[in-house]
Amino acid sequence: MATVTLTKVDKVYAGANGAEVRAVDGVDLAIRHGEFCVLVGPSGCGKSTTLRMIAGLEEITAGVLEIDGARVNDLPAKDRDIAFVFQNYALYPHLTVGENIAFGLETRRTHRSALAAALSGAAGARAAETAEIKTRVAEVSKTLGLDTLLHRYPRELSGGQRQRVAVGRAIARDPKVFLFDEPLSNLDARLRIETRTELRMLHRRLGATIVYVTHDQEEAMTLADRLVVMHKGKIQQNASAQECYDLPANRFVAGFIGTPPMNIVDGRVEGGEFESNGVRMPVGRLMAPRSCALGVRPDRMRLVRPNSDHSIAATVAAVERLGDRTDIALDSPWGRLLARVNADDAAHVRETDAVGVAFDAAHVHLFAPGECGARI
Amino acid sequence: MKRSPLASAILWFVLIMGTAAFVFPLWWMAVVSLETPARAEAAVTGSAGIALFPPDPQPANYLDAIRETGSTPWMGFIDALSNSIVVTVLVVIGTVLSSSLVGYAFARLRFRGSTPLFLVMLGTMMLPGQVTMIPLFLLFRQFGWIDSILPLVVPAFFGNAFFIFMYRQFIAQVPESLVEAARVDGLGHLAIWWKIMLPLCRPVTAICAVFTFIGTWNDFLAPLIYLHSDENATLAVALNGFKNQYGGLEDVHLLMALSVLTMLPCIILFIAAQKTFVEGLARGAVKG
Repeated sequence: MATVTLTKVDKVYAGANGAEVRAVDGVDLAIRHGEFCVLVGPSGCGKSTTLRMIAGLEEITAGVLEIDGARVNDLPAKDRDIAFVFQNYALYPHLTVGENIAFGLETRRTHRSALAAALSGAAGARAAETAEIKTRVAEVSKTLGLDTLLHRYPRELSGGQRQRVAVGRAIARDPKVFLFDEPLSNLDARLRIETRTELRMLHRRLGATIVYVTHDQEEAMTLADRLVVMHKGKIQQNASAQECYDLPANRFVAGFIGTPPMNIVDGRVEGGEFESNGVRMPVGRLMAPRSCALGVRPDRMRLVRPNSDHSIAATVAAVERLGDRTDIALDSPWGRLLARVNADDAAHVRETDAVGVAFDAAHVHLFAPGECGARI
Repeated sequence: MKRSPLASAILWFVLIMGTAAFVFPLWWMAVVSLETPARAEAAVTGSAGIALFPPDPQPANYLDAIRETGSTPWMGFIDALSNSIVVTVLVVIGTVLSSSLVGYAFARLRFRGSTPLFLVMLGTMMLPGQVTMIPLFLLFRQFGWIDSILPLVVPAFFGNAFFIFMYRQFIAQVPESLVEAARVDGLGHLAIWWKIMLPLCRPVTAICAVFTFIGTWNDFLAPLIYLHSDENATLAVALNGFKNQYGGLEDVHLLMALSVLTMLPCIILFIAAQKTFVEGLARGAVKG
C-alpha cells in the first residue's frame, strides 16, 4: 500500500513538423493508501500517458511524481515497486502460466544463479528462496483459480484466463501500487462484468492502492473509490463516482458520465427561465441574463400530454424497449432529446406520436458556454 | 477442393521430375563413391555410361577415404573433422548471438542515427565477398592471425547483415508491451534480449543457425585462404587433397566417399531443423 501524488505533471511530445503535443497538461492528483482510483476519459485524453508516467514507462516532462512521499521522477520502472497489467496482458508466450507468475519474483531474487550460490556456500539460502517463490505462486494461483492451469502456455488459455494470469503476475510480487491499463477491454461483455466484480473483490481483499485506466465510464463508475475524469490532457473532475454523476463539474463531465448521456441544450437563462429556440422552461432559480447550456439526465425526463404547462412539444423519433424501461428519442425545438421512462409508462408510445416532454427544475444542471463550460 | 485425376497426374509428374533433377547428382555421387577406382574414373571422365547402381559395391572405399585424408593416415581425417566442428560451432554461436543482439538494438532502441546506420549495414550486403577478400587478408596478416582459425571465427561475432535484418524484422513485431512488462519486472536491455527475445526468436535462430552451419561447414574459399598447414585444414579443404595439383582424378572414388561423409551432417541437421521451422511458423500465428 502506498500513496501516489502527482504535482503539476506535464507530458509533451515532439509531434510531426516540430509542433509540440501536450498529452498531459498540469495534472494534480493525490491518491490515498488503498484507494481504487480510476482515470476515465475518451481516447487521447491523456489517461494512459498519465498511468505510464506513474509506471516509469514514459518520461515526465515537467512536474513531480511521488510514491509514498518519495520523488520517483527519475527512478526506472523496476525500482518503483509497481505492477502493471497491460491491455493485451503481455504474458511471456514462451513461459508457462506458473513461470509467468513467478517471473517478476525470479528476477528479484538475491541468489539468481544456482552455480554461484553453490560456490559461495549459499545453496541453502537459494533453495529457501526457490521454495518461497513456489509457495507464493501456489498462493496466487489459488486465489485466482489458476491452480489447474500452471503448466499451460498462454496460447492455450482463453481471454479471461489470460487476463487472470496477468493479474496474478501483478499480485505475486506484492507491489506498492497496481496499475491497470484498460485490462478488460479485450474481454467479451459478459466476462467483462464478471471480471469487474472479481477485481473489486480482489481490491477489498488486498487493500492495495490501484490506479486503473478505462474509457468505459460504466466500468469506471462501478470500480472507483475515486473517479478522475480527463479530457485533452487535463483533469476535468476528481471526485467520487456518485458526485461526478450528481454534480458534474462541467459540461464535459456531464456529457461523459452516465449512460445514456445527459441531454444538453445551448441557450440563454433569464429571470428563472431557460430559453432555447423560442421555447422556455423554468430552472427554479433567479439568475442574471446570460448565455449558458442546460442539462437534464434522460431518466429525469417525463412524457406528458402535448401542450401541457411547462412542457416541450416533441415528436417520437424512435422507441427502444429494454424490458423494465424504455428509451425514447424525441425531435423537439431543442433538437434531439432522449427520455428514459418506465416501460409501463411508455407502453402506448409509438413512433411519430406527438407528445410533450417535461422535467423538474430541481434536476436541471446549468453550465457556462463552451465544451468544458463550468457548472453554474 | 478435389483435383481431377488428370491434374493430379500432371502434378505428380512435375514433382517427380523436379525431385529427380535435384536428387540425381547426390545419388550419382553416392554411386561413384562405391565404385572400383577404374570404374569411378571412367564415370567421371565420361568414358563409361552413367550407372544407377554400382555393379560391384566397394564399401571399403569409405574406410580408405578416411585413412587417406590429409598427410597422416587416420589422424588427417580426425584433424580436419575436429577443425570443421570447432570453426562451424563457433561461427554459428557467434552469428546467432551477435546478429540477434544487433537486431534487437535496431528494432527496440531509439538512438541518434539508427536509421542511417541500419541502411549502411544493409548496404554491406551489396558488397561481394571478393571485394573485401584482399583487404581482410592484409588486415588479418597484420594481426598475425594467418594459419589460425581466428580469421574464420572472429568476424562471425560481429554480426551478419542479412541475419541482423531478419532478427530486426522479427523483434520489431513483438508487442512493445512485452518489453515494458519485462522492464517493470526488473529486466534491463541485455536481460530482455536474453530472456525474452532470444526464446521468442526461435524460428529465426533456427534459420540463422542452419544456414550458417551449412555455409561454414561447406566453405572452401576462406579456409583455403587463411589455413595453410595440413593439420589446420577443415574437411572442405582436406577433400581437395584427393585431387592432385594437375586436377588428376585417380582417387575420385575416395573423393566422392569423403564428400558423402562431409555432406551427412548438413542433411541430418536440415531434417532435424525442419520441425523447428514449422513449429516456429505455427507459434507465430497464435497471439501470445
